[in-house]
Amino acid sequence: MTNHWNDLQHTDCALIIGANPAENHPVSFRWLLKARENGGKILSVDPRFTRTSSQADIYAPLRSGSDISFIGGMINYAIENNLFHKEYVAKYTNASFIVKEGFDFKDGLFSGYDEATRAYDKASWSFETTEDGKPEKDETLQHPRSVFQLMKKHYSRYDVDTVTTVTGTPKEEYMKVAETFCSTGKPGRAGTILYAMGTTQHTVGTQNVRSYAMLQLLLGNIGMPGGGVNALRGESNVQGSTDFGLLFGDLPGYLGAPKELPEHATLAAYLEKETPKTGYWSNKPKFVVSLLKAWYGPNATKENEFCYQYIPKGNKNYSHIALFNAMYKGELQGAFLFGTNPVVGGPNAGKEKEALSNLDWLVAIDLWETETASFWQKEAGSDPSKINTEVFLLPAASSYEKEGTVSNSGRWMQYRWKAIEPKGEAKADMEIIHMLMRRLKGMYKNEGSPAAKAMNALYWNYGEHDHPEFDLVAREINGYYTQTGKQVENFGMLADDGSTCSGNWIYSGFYPEEGNLSKRRDNKDTGMGNFLNWSYAWPMNRRVLYNRASADPSGKPWNKDKAVIWWDAAAKKWTGNDVPDFKAIVAPSDPGGTNPFIMTKDGVGGMFAPTLNDGPFPEHYEPFESPVPNAFSSQEFNPTIKVWDGDFNLKGTKKQFPIVATTYRVSEHWQSGSMTRNQQWLSELAGHMYIEMSEELAKEKGIKNKDKVIVTSARGEVKAYAMVTKRFKPHTINGKIVHQIGMPWHFGYKGYATGDTANRLTPHIGDANTMIPEYKAFLCNVRRAD
Amino acid sequence: MVEINLNRRQFLKLSGATAATLAVVELGFNENEVQAKTKEFKIAKATVTPTICPYCAVGCGILVHTKNNDVVYTEGDPDHPINEGSLCSKGTTIRQLFTSEKRVMKPRYRAPGSNKWEEKDWGWMLDTIAKRVKETRDKTFVEKSNGVFVNKTEAIASLGGAALDNEETYLLAKMMRGLGVTYLEHQARI
Amino acid sequence: MAKAEYVKFVDVTKCDGCRACMVACKNWNDLPAEPEAFQGSVQSHANVTANTWNVLSFIEHENGKGNLEYLFRHSSCFHCSEAACVKVCPEDAMHYTEFGTVDVNADKCVGCGYCVQNCPFDVVQLATYKDKNGKEYKKAQKCTMCVDRLEEGMQPACVTTCHTDAMEFGTKEEMLKKAEKRLGEIKERFPNAMIYNPEGVGGTHTVYVLAEKPSVYGLPEKPKVPTSAVVWKDYAQPIGKMMLGATSMALVGAFVSNKLFNKEGKDHEEDGGGSHE
Repeated sequence: MTNHWNDLQHTDCALIIGANPAENHPVSFRWLLKARENGGKILSVDPRFTRTSSQADIYAPLRSGSDISFIGGMINYAIENNLFHKEYVAKYTNASFIVKEGFDFKDGLFSGYDEATRAYDKASWSFETTEDGKPEKDETLQHPRSVFQLMKKHYSRYDVDTVTTVTGTPKEEYMKVAETFCSTGKPGRAGTILYAMGTTQHTVGTQNVRSYAMLQLLLGNIGMPGGGVNALRGESNVQGSTDFGLLFGDLPGYLGAPKELPEHATLAAYLEKETPKTGYWSNKPKFVVSLLKAWYGPNATKENEFCYQYIPKGNKNYSHIALFNAMYKGELQGAFLFGTNPVVGGPNAGKEKEALSNLDWLVAIDLWETETASFWQKEAGSDPSKINTEVFLLPAASSYEKEGTVSNSGRWMQYRWKAIEPKGEAKADMEIIHMLMRRLKGMYKNEGSPAAKAMNALYWNYGEHDHPEFDLVAREINGYYTQTGKQVENFGMLADDGSTCSGNWIYSGFYPEEGNLSKRRDNKDTGMGNFLNWSYAWPMNRRVLYNRASADPSGKPWNKDKAVIWWDAAAKKWTGNDVPDFKAIVAPSDPGGTNPFIMTKDGVGGMFAPTLNDGPFPEHYEPFESPVPNAFSSQEFNPTIKVWDGDFNLKGTKKQFPIVATTYRVSEHWQSGSMTRNQQWLSELAGHMYIEMSEELAKEKGIKNKDKVIVTSARGEVKAYAMVTKRFKPHTINGKIVHQIGMPWHFGYKGYATGDTANRLTPHIGDANTMIPEYKAFLCNVRRAD
Repeated sequence: MVEINLNRRQFLKLSGATAATLAVVELGFNENEVQAKTKEFKIAKATVTPTICPYCAVGCGILVHTKNNDVVYTEGDPDHPINEGSLCSKGTTIRQLFTSEKRVMKPRYRAPGSNKWEEKDWGWMLDTIAKRVKETRDKTFVEKSNGVFVNKTEAIASLGGAALDNEETYLLAKMMRGLGVTYLEHQARI
Repeated sequence: MAKAEYVKFVDVTKCDGCRACMVACKNWNDLPAEPEAFQGSVQSHANVTANTWNVLSFIEHENGKGNLEYLFRHSSCFHCSEAACVKVCPEDAMHYTEFGTVDVNADKCVGCGYCVQNCPFDVVQLATYKDKNGKEYKKAQKCTMCVDRLEEGMQPACVTTCHTDAMEFGTKEEMLKKAEKRLGEIKERFPNAMIYNPEGVGGTHTVYVLAEKPSVYGLPEKPKVPTSAVVWKDYAQPIGKMMLGATSMALVGAFVSNKLFNKEGKDHEEDGGGSHE
């Protein structure tokens, strides 16, 4: 989230698209309803009328997989009707930048596309620069090659009629959404976009989010209280585990992991290649070296490149889909599962289950016996005698049986005290990791192989017994001065000479000498509901990101009722209700004084994004499996996605599978259900796997409510109850009826509440940038079970 | 343990009521019997510990009431600025994370080809896992490739972590990178 | 010292259907789960039961304008001011508390089931238990309004957990004022909205603002204490009890209940929630 949960109360309009917060983030509605009490509007855009829709002022249906069309139409509407925030767009975004000649867009393809590699040469997607390397601008936004004019042209194709024939949204409802949300383009008004996996789990997931960001920049909604682009994250610490680099491509703090490339062969080369000359990321070497000092301690010296060479360097995509593909092919030998259950949660889960039997060993650390830990059992449909995988199931402590912090969607790092000893023989994950590492280090201690050298260099100093000292870990994350051992005050103090360490620079500041700030419990509102003395928010305890943009170029808030920070001319600094997400002493008239987006190279918001794999502007493509042709171009699906071969990625035809399907969650269960299906009360609330469908489709198929039905896709089938509902309506797409069904993906065969696993149906195909699987739009068919 | 202000959002102002001797029916949880007896107020003398909800990333505050090494009640933390004492159905029931009979109580091992779990002690499990990791790693470790030090093994994967604490994710990332693991993945994508 | 009357005010238009109220109740009152068959909707239980004291009902309703409304209602004991269950209880197990709410004294309850038969809202149910010798016996069970919490100055568990403040607890006067105010705010969106605090049972201590007519929620439009219940309590029961003793009374009572008590103001409403699939 650019903003945070309490801040939702300040919104004039919340556009909820690709999310169902009333069911999946219920307490968000505490603040959304407060916004409504103050006159704010709530808009719900969803294929299905949900519990969120029940609380919305306007509900607009759309077909799964048509978000870019929906939002593209709103961008067009805002431009055509002059509803955008002109000064904000001209000053705070790259809309005024001039794109080089040679940039082009034709029939769904941007310039530079190579069909053989399914990739773009992005050279033509760049800006004209002045002699000193700064981008050429036209703040009148009139230059024909300005980003603004190119964007205007691109989205002029997204007129209301075309858009609604693609999305299936009734025109009247579409217009209501467009009018209501675009009214926040008026300076001083704020609209927020709330999204979740309904947005990201598409082959165009990244561009879906991009389209929201563009619309929000256009309307001047980023940096504003009650504004922003807000990802409602689904796990208590998925924010933290992302921040801490539990994804192959990033080291902690979003420091790109070095790759097996000549440009990354040395630390100096890597830093040279990956450090921008301008913007806050120009400090990257300080963060990288401080991380290396945290990981390799005294072993990391200037002479040995701070042990940079021991960081593993990959040469491919190692994300979830690729990982299971490799496992299926027998390329992996062992795997660890830390509280994760891919046999229920993974795409094409039936095949992912099969893949597991190719492992020699599997270690599952969990509170429960999950479907994944027991994939070899007869109940899983396996023949145990034919599976040679050794499985180790280690009982883990629950969240309140240990101490530690988690980071919520609003980036608040909150401490959890230990309430009780772990149940049975369960142990905290930290303890398990530590005990394993102590054993491994012991085994390698006297060896000199390359594998041993890398291991021996790693600094693991959390106490000389099996119980690690939590406080030492916390201190290392914040970072300290390697000479004195004193905590660094914050990441502004980090250095690239080895004099500081910090395990995650973006968190640096949570644990200064005075103590661990994540434990703070002062709940006095310090202004605008930002609660600056409650816990700690990264970075630097800032609560609303890009908050410099809540003030006009001169430093005055666009709206005094929505004031976050402002320039105090007498004191010569930025002040207000939040920690400035800006250098506090840079005056509006100083160089860079009107550049609110400090993390970008040019200090402005990117309407034009020349770094993404699938184009600088979001463009509508149909999902990998779609019942209709693409109305915008002859490119059927995203031309830059990797199409995996083999029987792991079977594709269904619209003839065989004419119905659009999507998956989702319910309030009462969580993710793959292992946490909630193993509890009686929650299992009682939502005890059955079901398929939601419209009355019209049910009639067509001769299905009655509560019947058992079978849903099939090219990957598999599931049996479940039919939930025939008025809340699903068939879409009219280009004059034709297209049916859509939906189902929860929480179920499996373990626990109190059991049912078939929806992900046996979902495809093994991912987004062009993130490789997030396309769970949210695929093709299926449905019939009565008997 | 922090000091907790136990004021609820809106205290009722009732005069002098005590319930220590109130006769109420105690339903034995998971037991099909009822005993009428004098019962202490449910959360009297319980230890109260603040935590943050383990489910979605709203980050609501929850109070855990413990007594006699059991969790007797869980409820919203009235002092928490986000949820102000309220919760959703999942947050309300985190008590059963502890009380559920489905919790794995001891380490379990499944041998190749076997159709059952065997309970093992922690020491054996950790020693055996460490051995497997080392064997696989030593067999597949690549120090240099195309003239670049890569120090990696592509034969071990690590998945998950979105439910771990920050400090745990930090150590996990450090351990896995330290081992040279490149297949490093958690639930952000799924 | 006189105590004020307290009311749980349920504003169904603020509810987003999370069902925390259902599990907060189980959690506070240590009630076991009793999973039911698939209901054909998101709803978990057809009705409240002896171990599930409140149920969130889910209703898909197309309003007069043809627009779809997804309506939720936290349903539990109404805590009537003139409660049929109290009226008919032969053992005075059902009683009014000092807060104006209705509670069961389990020590006194003999499980006769008159209360079950006479509740105009179908709220009271019998739970079956086994004694030490394995012999089964029954007790009436229903929402207590968390009277043990009230005694300690705390609100009912369901109210405390409600994140949209769809439920509030306070003095009757204050809550009714709130209900009136809220009704004014929502009339535009829900022209049929009303306050449900039926007079036929002397008013209730669970007061609703409903978005639609009571029948849409399967509620009786005008519930009242059955006349026969009044007769039973005041005349038949004292005599019968003298003659038969409590246990046989229960059997006779059940028979009499089934045969004689017409649950007025209820039967014709059974199909009221017809739009609910």
